[in-house]
Amino acid sequence: MKSSSPVTETDYIRSTHREFLAAADKALRTPSLQIILGQLGDTLGERNRQAWQLLPNSDLVRQRARQIKDETLAHLHEHLQTLEKSVQQRGGQVHWADDGEAACQIIVDLIRQRGATRVVKSKSMTTEEIHLNPALTAAGIDTVETDLGEYIIQLAGHRPSHIVGPALHLSAAEVAEILSVPAGRKLAVEREVLAGFAREQLRQKFAEAEVGITGANFAVAETGTIVLVSNEGNARLTTALPKMHIAIMGMEKVIPRLADLPYFLKVLARAATGQKLSVYTSFITGARREGETDGAEEFHLVILDNGRSRILGSPLRESLFCIRCGACLNACPIYRSVGGHAYGGVYAGPIGAVLTPLYDGLAANQHLPHASSLCGACQAACPVKIQIPEMLVQLREQLHHEPALKSRWENFAYRMWAKTLRKPWLYRLTTWLATRTIGRWYRSNPWLKKLPGKLQGWTQKRDFPAPAAKRFRDWWDQEGRHES
Amino acid sequence: MSREAFLARVQQAAEQGRAYRVSHQELPPQIGYVGAAGDLCEHMALEINAVGGAATLVDSLEQARAVLGAYLTEVAAKSALCWQHPLLDRLGVTSFLQERNIAQVNYEQTAALDQPARRLAQLAGDIGITSADIAVAETGTLLVCSRPGQERVASLLPPMHVAIIERSQIVPDLLDAFALLHDHGLDQLPSNIALITGPSKTGDIELQLTTGVHGPGKWRVIIIR
Repeated sequence: MKSSSPVTETDYIRSTHREFLAAADKALRTPSLQIILGQLGDTLGERNRQAWQLLPNSDLVRQRARQIKDETLAHLHEHLQTLEKSVQQRGGQVHWADDGEAACQIIVDLIRQRGATRVVKSKSMTTEEIHLNPALTAAGIDTVETDLGEYIIQLAGHRPSHIVGPALHLSAAEVAEILSVPAGRKLAVEREVLAGFAREQLRQKFAEAEVGITGANFAVAETGTIVLVSNEGNARLTTALPKMHIAIMGMEKVIPRLADLPYFLKVLARAATGQKLSVYTSFITGARREGETDGAEEFHLVILDNGRSRILGSPLRESLFCIRCGACLNACPIYRSVGGHAYGGVYAGPIGAVLTPLYDGLAANQHLPHASSLCGACQAACPVKIQIPEMLVQLREQLHHEPALKSRWENFAYRMWAKTLRKPWLYRLTTWLATRTIGRWYRSNPWLKKLPGKLQGWTQKRDFPAPAAKRFRDWWDQEGRHES
Repeated sequence: MSREAFLARVQQAAEQGRAYRVSHQELPPQIGYVGAAGDLCEHMALEINAVGGAATLVDSLEQARAVLGAYLTEVAAKSALCWQHPLLDRLGVTSFLQERNIAQVNYEQTAALDQPARRLAQLAGDIGITSADIAVAETGTLLVCSRPGQERVASLLPPMHVAIIERSQIVPDLLDAFALLHDHGLDQLPSNIALITGPSKTGDIELQLTTGVHGPGKWRVIIIR
């Protein structure tokens, strides 16, 4: 594929500052991607706004969802134990996974114990987070993604570029090219043809699959119910046809009561796709019952920590409220310019700039908290009102206190700055010098086109204002104080 | 062992994290309730059409049969996945299909088959005929519970899903539907509940709407007033 370099799109990599810039630059030069990214704000944004308008007091509904999350996290261990008990009462089994590796091992073992080799998956960011697909492949288990977008990028060997629309970085022509490979013929560049081909292929996979793997949008503690939201219906097929269902959830996905659920459903689809409700919401409560002819016979729930407990006890705990709707990506002027792959991690966009450093380590992802203009659009779009800009600033501050990351040059500059501001005579001297030299040289066009040394980055894409030719204090003494 | 360590770690973090709780405000209990103005059946029909389905309001079982007949013709149905449901019995779906030489695939026939044969029969269905347990007017949503005789696949596998509902099944808001589930008893929750709001959709290719990718691309609801 012409738009895909194997290095940045095939593998999960930690992007460095330089790679972020390179990927961003490439995205900005890809017209087809820019058109789609633009629509996230225009077409989809308009749909979101209309859907929100149809919910009276929507801000208070979001507040309710937010409060439920906050309340739940304060007693998370209790709700998880209730969830475990409820699942077990309905014949399911619960597994606890400290990290991604442990979760993959649990899932591989469960599939092996059943003697199964064919797995269908419905879209789950958590399985992306733990790199489940490579683990299954390594274990010789044939795994097929069934969400249309995930199916496309699995065939292409890409990683998702958007939480909700994983293949949004591809044009229809590119999708046609990708799907034409398994088709063995040239597929027309028509969405219906492409979706129709995928439906046909995946029906076969569903019919043969022995195990279905899903994530969980929510898990209701008091009933042991796993809730899956989708528009295509693949989550329903994944849980209706195979004999074994394994669901994996980040531990923060639990909500205490069934009565809490409708508030989340009312805000989730509005924020994600501008629908009042997504087409399908499945509530799965244990395995199939006596006499039923569809649904899994065996149900397993894997509860994942993978760094979440570290976040839970920290000031950035609020990031665990996230319900993975993707609204902050669509709202973000940075995401809408550079696309998802620049972020490097599994989660892109503003929430990704928070989650990736938290899950994967701040030092390794130090550029991500800076990949934001802090304009606040993400927080305004968030259905649970997560204060993303605030958290990005906190992460930036943490970076500042990270001794290993300190640049000697930057420290020197800030030390000098502090010294200058603390001593009035030095401040006066500095400003006097600046106005007398640069200020006067640039009097007619007060913009610096190029800064020296390390400061060059600033002027690569914009000019820097030159100091004024006269200091404010001089102007005040000479003219200002007499003017009134 | 890892369970205990896991939960102990979470407990410690949850308690530590309480220092960073967000501010709460008192919220009126009705927050989030939208409801449906005017006639519930008409509102339901309007919403169904708005999400890409097609609703028909009828006044009698006779009219409902006529509409169903037209759908059977539209997809040139040879076999139909059917629920066993009192409303469908009153409609006389079994004899209606027999008259048209359409094979009926329902619980009674498939329960006797082994899994592969049953699956083949279900996959071959041209149309799925169901009712619903609850319908939500505000969003045009059908709530369907799984139980023997109410298979999940009937509203899922065929290219067309037709649901026949009546006024008494419709509630104004999703919150009403959840209240009904509560009244029925939380220990009585079926193994599967699906909220269905529209035909199967995807926006995965260039954000453009494409229908029928996995579930039924054609979604029809007959509402008996």
